Order: sequence, then structure tokens, then C-alpha cells
Amino acid sequence: MEKITKEELIEFEKEISELFLDKKIHVPVHLSGNNEDQLIEIFEDINEKDWVLSTHRNHYHVLLKGMPKEEFKELILSGESMHIYSEKYRILTSAIVGGILPIAVGMALAIKKKRQRRKVWVFIGDMAKETGMFHECHKYAARHELPIKFIIEDNGYSTDTPTQEVWGYQHTKSNIIRYEYERKFPHVGIGAWVSF
Amino acid sequence: MTYQSEIKKTMQWLSTIDDTIFIGQGVLYGDGIYRTLLDIPSNKKLEMPVAEDMQMGISTGLALEGYLPITIYLRMDFLILAINQLVNHLDKLEELSNGIFKPKVIIRCIVGSKTPLYPGLQHCQDHTELLKACLTNIDIIKLTSIDMIKTSYRKAIESDKSTILIEMKELYETTE
Repeated sequence: MEKITKEELIEFEKEISELFLDKKIHVPVHLSGNNEDQLIEIFEDINEKDWVLSTHRNHYHVLLKGMPKEEFKELILSGESMHIYSEKYRILTSAIVGGILPIAVGMALAIKKKRQRRKVWVFIGDMAKETGMFHECHKYAARHELPIKFIIEDNGYSTDTPTQEVWGYQHTKSNIIRYEYERKFPHVGIGAWVSF
Repeated sequence: MTYQSEIKKTMQWLSTIDDTIFIGQGVLYGDGIYRTLLDIPSNKKLEMPVAEDMQMGISTGLALEGYLPITIYLRMDFLILAINQLVNHLDKLEELSNGIFKPKVIIRCIVGSKTPLYPGLQHCQDHTELLKACLTNIDIIKLTSIDMIKTSYRKAIESDKSTILIEMKELYETTE
């Protein structure tokens, strides 16, 4: 994949923000910044044939996955900032919080079934990480040893809502009671055929 | 021939098609979705946890990687829990991606029967009209007679779109 530097990433978002200021982009833009070093390091391990699934805030992911700057800029100018799809660069996004999670798991499941060496990399925010969908997808993928990595990009906010504050800070006391038992009856009915 | 046996025969036909995979809760355990999947090889079936929206998303992901999932919801009441992945993703991906991605999933669901035992309001709802109102790119077919079963599934296989096929459990014992 074509390498892109930290300076180029920053310069790209600067250019996009100027284009937005000049009213050349007629859709919402969600810019990235201050996470260049972390992403450059993560993308060291991402291969050309791997999938990258991202969100409405995808500019850095798309550039680091190899889409040339000019090609991407044209897409943004045509109104595609939040929705980037590419078969060539294997990129898929969703602007629904957590929407990409189970799709990524399905892709990883398929890759494992086909015994291929590719991986799926799924980038989500800190609020998506708190959702039930993340809990389900992470548990399923981990326990089935699927070729997938979840990257949590934690800036502390979901839009402008402080993620941990609204969920409540971590507590230590458990409010769960769990007991185990062996079932006596089948799921439904009595275990014998009854004709009504 | 009964409605149920025709469904079973059609499922067996689907299982012979390359890349099909039957996915859902109850495909491998219990009575194999009302005994219609019992003769299908285990390697063609993927039992799922109760996670309806995740199941729909996984089906879309499998489709994007070349599989043809037949994703099954034992009752239509449960399919409603998958509405996010259905409406915002499977139904919209082709349009959002300007035709780059066209995941095709066959969705099989069953409207619960009210007889001989009434299962209550949460187990026999028919949301066909709701789905028609909120889906724009997925075909919806209600299987109201035995004649429709094989032809509708054949149409779904030949189509390049995803299809929801809705069975009526109360018709299961009806004959030609």
C-alpha cells in the first residue's frame, strides 16, 4: 500500500476544512486530527487485501488504506465524505453507530471458513464500544477466533455527549444474581405429542 | 404434499446450490426450524445465538465475501429486532456505494400460527406491511399457497436483489 505521512494526513484535513469553508462541499464533514501517530502505527499491520470498516469519520482510514489523496478528495467534493465504499481498497463505512460491527464479523467469518489469511479491521468510537452490538460482536468474534481486530478510537465524546458520564462511571458492586440449574422440561410443551 | 413438505423440499434444493449457508437460531438444534432443515448437511448450517440484528449484519458480511446466506427468523416478531441492519444496511448498501457493493441475502421468516395453541401477541404478528413501508431495495414475498413456494425461492435465487420470503405457519398442514 502507498504510504502516507503524518504531515500529509494533517495537510489533507486542512485542505478539506478550507474547501468546506469555501462552501465547495455540500455534505457534513467529520474531520480527523490528533490521532495520526496511533493510526500510522496500527496501519503498519494492515495489508492491502484486508478489509477496513469505518464510520462517518473515516478520512484518515481511507488515506492510510491506500486511496490516493486526489481520488479521495474528488469523492468528498462529490458528497461522499460520510459514505466511502471501495472494492479496490476494500473499504466499507456506515454512518449508523456500530452498524459496521456485525457486517465486519460476517466478513471475518467468511474469511475463516474459506481458510484465507486476510483480516478485517473495524474502527469504531468510544460510544459504539459501549453498545450491546459491540458486546455481542466482540464476544462472538473472540470466542470463534475470527480474523478481526476492533480498534476503539476514544476521544471521550459521542457527538458532543460525554460517553462515560452518560453511561455512569464504572461501579464495583455487582447487582447481578445468577444461578444454574438443569432443565426438567423441554423448551416448549411437556415432552410428549399432544394433538389438539 | 403439504405446505411444510414443500418448504422442506425447497430448502433441500437451496442446499445444493454452491455457497448457500443456512443461518439462524434453531437451524442446527431443536426441531430444525419446524423440521424443514433436518436433512440438510450440518456443514451448510450455522447456529446463531439470540442476536437478531447481529445475525442480519453477519449475513450481510458473509454475502459481501461471496456466500449466499439464507438467514432464518423463526417468527416474524423476532425479525423486527433486526430492523437496523435490514433497513440501514442491507437495504441501502447498493445505493450508498453507488452499486459497488450488492450483498444478496435471502431472508426466511415465519408468521406464527394462532391455532391450535394461541401463542400470544408477541409470537404471531404479521409485519409484512411494515417491511414493505420501510424497505426500498429488498423484494418481499408472502407465501400464501403451496404453488408459490418453489417458484418464489427460484425467483429469489435468480434475482440480484435480496428477498424476504414470509411463510404462514397456519398453512403448514394444508395440502394441494
